[in-house]
Amino acid sequence: MMSWSIAAPAVSAAFLASLVEVVEAFTIVLAVATLRGWRPAVFGAIAALALLAGVVLLLGPLLDRVPIGSLQLAIGVLLLLFGMGWLRKASLRAAGVIRLHDEDAIFAAESTELSKQAQRRQRNLDWAAAVTALKAVLLEGLEVVFIVIAVGAGRGLLLPASLGAVAACAVVLAVGAIIHRPLSRVPENSLKFGVGVMLSAFGVFWTGEGLGIAWPGQDLALLLFAALFLAAGLGGASLARKRSMEFA
Amino acid sequence: MTMLREIAAELIGMFVGETRLTVSTLAIVGAVGSFVNFIGLNPLVGGAALLLGCLGLLVESVLRGARPQGW
Repeated sequence: MMSWSIAAPAVSAAFLASLVEVVEAFTIVLAVATLRGWRPAVFGAIAALALLAGVVLLLGPLLDRVPIGSLQLAIGVLLLLFGMGWLRKASLRAAGVIRLHDEDAIFAAESTELSKQAQRRQRNLDWAAAVTALKAVLLEGLEVVFIVIAVGAGRGLLLPASLGAVAACAVVLAVGAIIHRPLSRVPENSLKFGVGVMLSAFGVFWTGEGLGIAWPGQDLALLLFAALFLAAGLGGASLARKRSMEFA
Repeated sequence: MTMLREIAAELIGMFVGETRLTVSTLAIVGAVGSFVNFIGLNPLVGGAALLLGCLGLLVESVLRGARPQGW
């Protein structure tokens, strides 16, 4: 029987994290499509999705062979490192110490780079554009695959977590198809902050279970961990803002 | 080849965003695992140490990031 106290955070973490990654990939694919047409952009994106599907098909069956304790420990530690890294960056962005992610600026930079390539060599330009799209989708997609596996594998929630990721793709593609420009109004740092909180909470939870710690309240402990990481992230951001102003 | 290198760098970068935070987190996990499994520390105490240790590391890392280089 699926426990909703753990399925809901897993699905929402997969959805929100995928939303952030898909927005980033979409910006670059859109830049490629704007400059070189949809053919190389779609070709690159589909090739990357095929590669990602291959990775999932290869890794999926292997995960079933790993003992659950070792799997929880390995995934828990990776989630901790990944989640705390995101939360740290999101806190520093919220504090104004590092710049916010700007989809419009990334779109402009990618377009400039492709234009430079066009000036340097006229041949194989569609190929270069397809490779740019492929790279963007592959690199962002790898993060999505990791997040889905990480939040889903520990408790047999791979399917719901995958559905969360697919839903995020559908939302971004639908909105992107309608507005046909970079999705710069997505509150990316707030999303990253929230996802960092959830992934860090999952990380502590799985790592502890992998080390043989039976958390009081079982799955409900996740909510407490998330609340504490949220408080630490917000508190850290507030202190960092004060500190950076002192040094300014 | 360049793309493979970029993919490898991206994968490593996913988990090693900030070296000191990564190493300290691994050290806490290693210490808690050793104390709980080999020295017989109460698992709940180990769990609390893991949670509080990670929270402390996060705040410390954010504050360090707000400091100008060279301090």
